[in-house]
Amino acid sequence: MTLGFRLTLPAQVLVLFISLFPLLMQLYISLTDWSPLAGTPWPRAWEFWNTFANYTDIPGDTRLWAALGRTALVMAVCVPVEFLLGLGLGLLFVDDFPGKRLAYSLLIMPMMVVPAVAGYMFFMLFQSGGPVNDILSWFSPTPVTIAWLSDPTLALVAVMAADIWQWTPLMFLILLAGLVGVPQDQLRAATLLGASPWQRFRTIVLPRMKVIITIALAIRAIEAFKIFDTLFIMTGGGPGVATETISVYFYKITTQDLVWGYVAALALFILVALSIAAVWAMKRMAK
Amino acid sequence: MSAIHLKSLVKRFGPFTALKTMDMEIADGEFMALLGPSGCGKSTTMNMIAGMEAPTEGRILFGDRDVTQVPMGQRGVGFVFQNYAIFTHMSVRQNLDYGLRMKGVDPGPKTAAMAELLGLTDLLDRPSAGLSVNILQRLAIGRSAIMEPAIFLLDEPLSNVDAAFRAVMRTELKALQRQFRQTMVYVTHDQLEAMTMADRIAVMDHGVLQQVGTPLEIYDRPANTFVASFIGSPAMNLIPGEIRGGAFTAPGVEIPGFAAADGPVTLGFRAEDAQVAASGEIQAPVYSMELLGDSSMATLQLGSKSFAAIKAAKDFKVEIGENLAVRAPARICHLFDAQTGQRLSGAKP
Repeated sequence: MTLGFRLTLPAQVLVLFISLFPLLMQLYISLTDWSPLAGTPWPRAWEFWNTFANYTDIPGDTRLWAALGRTALVMAVCVPVEFLLGLGLGLLFVDDFPGKRLAYSLLIMPMMVVPAVAGYMFFMLFQSGGPVNDILSWFSPTPVTIAWLSDPTLALVAVMAADIWQWTPLMFLILLAGLVGVPQDQLRAATLLGASPWQRFRTIVLPRMKVIITIALAIRAIEAFKIFDTLFIMTGGGPGVATETISVYFYKITTQDLVWGYVAALALFILVALSIAAVWAMKRMAK
Repeated sequence: MSAIHLKSLVKRFGPFTALKTMDMEIADGEFMALLGPSGCGKSTTMNMIAGMEAPTEGRILFGDRDVTQVPMGQRGVGFVFQNYAIFTHMSVRQNLDYGLRMKGVDPGPKTAAMAELLGLTDLLDRPSAGLSVNILQRLAIGRSAIMEPAIFLLDEPLSNVDAAFRAVMRTELKALQRQFRQTMVYVTHDQLEAMTMADRIAVMDHGVLQQVGTPLEIYDRPANTFVASFIGSPAMNLIPGEIRGGAFTAPGVEIPGFAAADGPVTLGFRAEDAQVAASGEIQAPVYSMELLGDSSMATLQLGSKSFAAIKAAKDFKVEIGENLAVRAPARICHLFDAQTGQRLSGAKP
């Protein structure tokens, strides 16, 4: 063994232990029917051995697939909306205008709000006697009293609105950094060659932003998949399971149903599925 | 092809006046150099011709067409940027036919023809990032030339090139201009570039047009002391003194034969016009000697603050501090007003 390897060995072992041990423990528990209420500590989970029964249960778990579908819907709506809003704002902020600094500070503020606080803010905004309905009432002959968070469809809309409010600023910040980096001379050169604003955007700005757009979309897609805190405070996944995303579902079966063997199997399944999806996405982006 | 007329052009940035009332005519097919130090207004003038900046006052005409209000994309002007502004995420071909594609015109054989003309044929499908400077320059010119603009503007295209390569690029640029026969406006702060390439030079300083003329006119008959000191290497010798009874006098200098009235003036002459001799109009101690290779340069100290450079043979030897006699007759000298620096009518040749 080289000296370098021996010197870093303690750190390597520690890292290995931290990353590998929980994974092996999870794999072990996922092959059993063990639960914290079982009365035996987890190393003796083999007493509840059920081989692959947990894994074979996954395809029939309709609540899981519904939650996955809902999460996909949140991603499919929130990420593109945040991207388009962020890009539009970024294009606006590339040029100077009076009050730009103040507008900039106000615009990135939602990002600074603690997600739990944002959740509570939106919980109050969407109450049937809340400000959202008040504003809608201005445009309606009769007072609007929509029960946003009690309606299965509208609750999901409200939750997505909160996500868009909170995370458009991040998209805006990243995209603005990319837009500022587009060389002005190239834009002028394109203009002098007769390119219209849209052609300049398509042929100069977008190609130059490709990497940064990919990064921004990837960050937001991953975060949107994990959506939990704001949503949980607003609806708790309800009404019923109407806003139950994958994170909320995990939370519930872990803390309420306490089926830890199944949770471990499910978590491993999601990890493998996501890894495959990520590798596929990265290969596509590399092209 | 098209002539350019600048009529009473003024550009102010807030309280700062970048260009003070400029009138200039650039003929069809002419190579005009805008020459001056940084901040003289040459780039501002060029940007206004291109439409990148709007003039505060005045008008710009291309031929008979008033383009003052025409946005930059519609002026039909080719522009070569200081850094060439090549679209580095595109291939050479995509750069060349960019303008045509944006207009929705099929480039057809034009791209290949332009590449042939500029010697870029072998590089057409290479990515443009990482090409050498002279290829980037040709590409930048070709990308504009393919649009067949009436007017070509070049903004210090050689300033990023190292000195050794600049001479090559100058020759290449001049040859390209002859091929395209377009009106070219060339901005530079390098008097050598202006002298070697331009048909006419417009010398500018502090937002004021100092003189317009052929390189030879500007060299031989500078309109004022600024032009005299900016053009030529070394700069023209400028000696403050006075005219008394038709003769110019200054410490160590006594030149007869001027028709100017008595009073203070500034005398100018070029280093290569004066000659070291046994006796002459200038008698002064040598301050320094430099060997230039093909010749040498003696600097004389005239009085306490004034110096004059004299070209001598390369094997010329003299001790520092030794008195040197120089022939500088009135026919090689220029007289400038001591206050305004303007050329005096009595000056020769």
